[in-house]
Amino acid sequence: MTSEVESIGAGFKPVADERREITRNVVVPRRHPGRWIAVAVLAVLVLQFGQAISVNPNFHWDVYLTYLFAPPVIRGVGWTLLLTVVAMTVAITVAGLLVVMRDSENPILRGIAYGWVWFFRGTPIYTQLLFWGLFAVLFPNLSLSIPFGPELISVETKYIVTPAIAAILGLGFNESAYLTEIFRAGFNSIDRGQAEAAQALGMKRAKIWMRILMPQAMRVIIPPTGNETIGMLKMTSLVLAIPFTLDLTFATNAISNRLYLPIPLLLVAGTWYLAITSLLMIGQYFLERHFGKGVSAHSTRVG
Amino acid sequence: MTANISEFCVEMQNIHKFYGPFHALKGVSLRVRRGEVCVAIGPSGSGKSTLLRCINQLETISAGRVLLKGELQGFVEQDGRFHPLSSGQIAAQRRLTGMVFQRFHLFPHMTALENIMEGPAHVKGWSKDQARTKANQLLERVGLGGFGGRYPEQLSGGQQQRVAIARALAMEPEVMLFDEPTSALDPELVGEVLDVIKDLARSGITMVVVTHEIGFAREVGNHLIFMDQGQIMEEGHPRSMLADPQNPRTAAFLSKVL
Ligand SMILES: Nc1ncnc2c1ncn2[C@@H]1O[C@H](COP(=O)(O)OP(=O)(O)OP(=O)(O)O)[C@@H](O)[C@H]1O
Ligand SMILES: [Mg+2]
Repeated sequence: MTSEVESIGAGFKPVADERREITRNVVVPRRHPGRWIAVAVLAVLVLQFGQAISVNPNFHWDVYLTYLFAPPVIRGVGWTLLLTVVAMTVAITVAGLLVVMRDSENPILRGIAYGWVWFFRGTPIYTQLLFWGLFAVLFPNLSLSIPFGPELISVETKYIVTPAIAAILGLGFNESAYLTEIFRAGFNSIDRGQAEAAQALGMKRAKIWMRILMPQAMRVIIPPTGNETIGMLKMTSLVLAIPFTLDLTFATNAISNRLYLPIPLLLVAGTWYLAITSLLMIGQYFLERHFGKGVSAHSTRVG
Repeated sequence: MTANISEFCVEMQNIHKFYGPFHALKGVSLRVRRGEVCVAIGPSGSGKSTLLRCINQLETISAGRVLLKGELQGFVEQDGRFHPLSSGQIAAQRRLTGMVFQRFHLFPHMTALENIMEGPAHVKGWSKDQARTKANQLLERVGLGGFGGRYPEQLSGGQQQRVAIARALAMEPEVMLFDEPTSALDPELVGEVLDVIKDLARSGITMVVVTHEIGFAREVGNHLIFMDQGQIMEEGHPRSMLADPQNPRTAAFLSKVL
């Protein structure tokens, strides 16, 4: 109701000027009665809801508190966080390469980039993870050899593609396909003149990508990549398919199966996922602030 | 050959440029002496920008040769065949030229000072301090001392264009290329940018300027070309050519813009 006109008066700062003859406008902040009513209604609802779940015995809050910081849960949090960060790092690196390959003059590199995105985006992640788990069975030995010639080195696959590595590569490669599209959209959003201005200065390709295009693409890339990172956090629970059995969801499921009390342990897992997501969002905030240099903040908020 | 090197900074020999089937430059030849201010005028779509962009290889030419200070650009010629240079070698050749664009194209994520430092610090490999000193000198020179900390979006169009000129000058190019540097500006801002360019012209740097400012051509130009439909229709000294155009199309164009 008040939103169309609220910012005309509110937040207005008179021109800073120290000269005596200028009397600054005295601006009285507008009142917002609607906001206070909304706050009151919300407060009542929140209190009622809080009461309903805090005194409800079905939630087993005592069990929740016992297991919230239990060692297997904490270890699960650690692994989930590690999987998320490392798999995301793999995904970002691969997607960065793919996006440059897509722009390459070399048709083979372009073809590989297209094929990669086509394959990893086109097959379910669960199926991919199952295959990563079977990798050691399908290819018991990894060897480096001259085709149809002698073998140079040979290692048993299970020592290289361990469940953790399989989980990281599985999650990372799948994610890289999605990130490639996000990165591409980011780079496409930049005016062609930017690259031309850098070329005209005599800059080489790699420098143009790193110093001119990337920082500008970041503004467009970071919000959806933040989404993807949070999605990845939850996707780590799928590594059961490999099977990789140290992540948070597996840890809390194992406990609840033992206790026959699923609810409190779901709450434990939920609390931790929420906590990690909050942490990631803080990181995103600072990244956005860093790469927002030179662009007015909130430029899309309509007065 | 040696006379060539010292005498002509820019030499275009019978340049053709195709965009797909479209013939944008139809055999253009142009020689710009060292220290000369060459001004190009002509109707929209006549190929002026294309001509400029062929000089610093933002466009690949379809036929002909571009020489800067006697050196063939973009290719090595052997036994009548052209072998393209690598992108790194082309980047190195581009350091001979500096370009100023119609729409400025400042790097929005860098301050004015950082924009100017970018070339010296990250292309020439100067130290940060050296580059900063140079950038500050250039800011003074274009009348923007004290504006170094501002981001492009915090500058007016005229100020942005002056920063863009300083950014190009920071590479200490042999030839400055201007593509309609004042066309995107409000009328009251045109003067401040033209003043900077006029100042540069007097400093003796070789320039090729595409512009619609006929007054500028008359005042500081010492070589005028009129382009139409991908060709140079007439060429000469600005004062005589503007006063007494020989080609009827030049006359028709001038009667419209003057
Ligand atoms: N990338 C391109 N692809 C296809 N055609 C192009 C391209 N760039 C330019 N052209 C065409 O080439 C011709 C010359 O263009 P150019 O930009 O050099 O004209 P100009 O003389 O600079 O015009 P203006 O005064 O409007 O800037 C035009 O007809 C234009 O449509
Ligand atoms: Mg043009």
